[in-house]
Amino acid sequence: MQDANILEAEKINKRYPGVKALDEVDFDLRYGEVQALVGQNGAGKSTFIEIVAGSIQPDSGLITLDGGAHPHLDPSKSIELGIQTVHQENQLVEELSVAENIYLYNLPKTRLGFVKLTTCIEAADNLLGELGIGISSAKKLTELTPVQKKLISIAKAFSRKAKILILDEPTAALDTHGKNILFDIVRRYTKKGLSVIYISHHLGEIFEICDRVTIFKDGRRINTHRVAETDMNVIVKEMIGKSTTSLIIRQTATGLDAGEPSLEVRDYHRQGAVDHVSFSVRQGEIFGIGGLVGAGRTELARMIFGLDEKDSGELVYRNRNITPTDPNDAIRKGIGLLTEDRKENGLVVIRPIFENISLVRFAKNRGAFMHLKRERSDTEAISKQLNVKTPTIAQLVINLSGGNQQKVVLAKWLFAEAEVLIFDEPTIGIDVGSKSEIYGLMDGLAKSGKIIIMISSDNPELISVCDRVGVMRFGKLVAVLDGEQKNEENILKFSMGVDEKDET
Amino acid sequence: MKVNAFSREGLRRRFSQSTMLVIMIVVVAIVATIVNPKFLRITNIINIFQQISVLGIVACGVGMLLVSGYIDISVGAQVSLLGIILSGIIQNVGGIAPDASNGWLQPLAIPMAFVVSFIVGFAMGLVNGIIVIKSRVTSFIITLGFASVYKGIALLVSGGASYMLFGRFEWLGRGRILNVIPIPILFFLGIVVFTHIVLKFFRYGRFLYAIGGNRKAAYVSGINTDGIILRGYVVVGLLNALAALILISRVGSALATTGEAYALDALASVIVGGVAITGGKGTALSFFLGVVLIGLLGNALIIMNVNPYVRDVVIGSIIIIAVSISHITSDGA
Repeated sequence: MQDANILEAEKINKRYPGVKALDEVDFDLRYGEVQALVGQNGAGKSTFIEIVAGSIQPDSGLITLDGGAHPHLDPSKSIELGIQTVHQENQLVEELSVAENIYLYNLPKTRLGFVKLTTCIEAADNLLGELGIGISSAKKLTELTPVQKKLISIAKAFSRKAKILILDEPTAALDTHGKNILFDIVRRYTKKGLSVIYISHHLGEIFEICDRVTIFKDGRRINTHRVAETDMNVIVKEMIGKSTTSLIIRQTATGLDAGEPSLEVRDYHRQGAVDHVSFSVRQGEIFGIGGLVGAGRTELARMIFGLDEKDSGELVYRNRNITPTDPNDAIRKGIGLLTEDRKENGLVVIRPIFENISLVRFAKNRGAFMHLKRERSDTEAISKQLNVKTPTIAQLVINLSGGNQQKVVLAKWLFAEAEVLIFDEPTIGIDVGSKSEIYGLMDGLAKSGKIIIMISSDNPELISVCDRVGVMRFGKLVAVLDGEQKNEENILKFSMGVDEKDET
Repeated sequence: MKVNAFSREGLRRRFSQSTMLVIMIVVVAIVATIVNPKFLRITNIINIFQQISVLGIVACGVGMLLVSGYIDISVGAQVSLLGIILSGIIQNVGGIAPDASNGWLQPLAIPMAFVVSFIVGFAMGLVNGIIVIKSRVTSFIITLGFASVYKGIALLVSGGASYMLFGRFEWLGRGRILNVIPIPILFFLGIVVFTHIVLKFFRYGRFLYAIGGNRKAAYVSGINTDGIILRGYVVVGLLNALAALILISRVGSALATTGEAYALDALASVIVGGVAITGGKGTALSFFLGVVLIGLLGNALIIMNVNPYVRDVVIGSIIIIAVSISHITSDGA
């Protein structure tokens, strides 16, 4: 039974507009095996597991389960076949009890249609006991800690026949104790024949719990190793693949290196999000911040900008304390934040381009009246300068492409004369052409003496655009990479904690 | 993609909201004239405008607030309560009848009514705004609660009875400039112009649009969103005070329910005028046209001898239809 496959995927293809999410992917999972799936953001891991779980249909390819071919999977069919997924985000109802959450799909009912809560709690307590999760199932979900909630999500997957368990970043929400419970469950049940697909960015865990590891990159399966026969460096190299850093458009600002630190970020901290982060940026420098999604980078940016609460932290610009108290204060002190979600926090998309561009400037100014003619001509000029492609600046922002929308956001901050610019994932969802335009603009801004902090999950981008790259992991700034050290391999290693001592 | 005339894109391209409103106004006027030729008489037209002036003033406040995405459904109760307070002052301080002597206070009755009206209007706007902002609950629900509170207070103060002015305070509501143009119309048009200036030329107006379009983005852009919204509610309260003064002066008496209809009528006006219920859109011109349409409809129904209760059905239907259409034609938002 050891080498027989429970799941086989053959030549799976999935294309989205402009991207090949999965490209001829083959995959096999054996009975009783734990197989890790690793890859950088956008490698296709999520798309793949969603195809297995039936929530996304592939364009072509075949999935075979237990020897039977299944060309058309849907979520309920996948579950019926014994494929259970524990998603990264808990899919639980806060207002219900643990027991009700576990059996929500089929609550035991009386003849009159009332829920038999006692039966439900009994069954749930048995299940939790068997799994070794010491939580009373009568409790309401709101009473639980995040760790406990995650364990309940895992227990839910075992409430139904599970032959294949898909765990998507299960340990992100778990502490050491919770992780031990999970690993214990995985070990015991795989002995009984359960197969597990394990997605994680924490390579250490893979060596702890997995039998094999499969590496995805850019929608392709690169390789599969037996964990016992490989090491982290090989995995990291394969995740990066051939270096794609040919798009270098920026020569590291020479001559400025001798300059004094101009902006100092001192001891920014918020419990559970950002862990005592300090760094400094020189005039004319682009400082990158890399790390995994959820490492606390966006939280740090929002705290610096005065948008979110912080426990501690001081921002010093040219030896002057300019720590902002709120966004308005930040703007007055010359700080700008280009948020990662343009439509959510950056733009008023149902208003015209020129109104968006002038918004921060008007928020900064005082005085009741607006000079409309000057507004038109000034915003027109800056939109031309940034090459926003539109017939007229009276056009609504919603009608622009992602790249042009990002230019409008940038125009807004430049128009408000921001000296310190924080870019959070500035090129997400933007076509290649606009990307390089934005890099060019950032380069120009740095050369003109602005201070730029750039958060990105696109590591080649960080390397080519930034002078130095800090890497965050679990809220901490774990490394600042410079010169030769500044390469994809190092960013990835520090992001995932490859060289750290056993972190348990 | 081919654009179907009745698709969202098609609808949006064929009609700008204002032209659509003008067309509707003309249609209503034609139908009313066919049924009753008196409708188009100058005296009737002036009469209609005099009647809609109060609604227009209330609607301008409601409209500016709605541009920021916030609603005040308590405006009808506010106008009623203000009416009770100011007529109570005039009756009690000014004396029952014009010639009744009430000492030196008597000449101060009307100035007092003015001052107190604006203070109370300001206070109601302030309280509404603070609670809406602090509670973070949908403004519709909060102000619905306040509508009940203000109505209750108006009933308590008046004991359910009416106050009479006995012709003591007529010039504001019934006076005419050059014996032709009613003073309320001047106030109405003045407020429309004021609204236009605020929305178009003031930073404050621009911020209303930004907040209505995307409150989070407005805050990140450095706008004091809470302060702007609070001011929006205060403006509503102050305009209600003006509206109540004109209304009570014109009617000559006040009940605790005098202003009730203005809540829905004002909302209906600005919504048919094209303000998105979620905010971010709308102009003073659109408020004006919306008010004219709603006012015209009311008058047309009366002049066509339709059962007055039909009006409620019509106003309610207009709100439902206008909101549904604007939702369908907006960009899926």
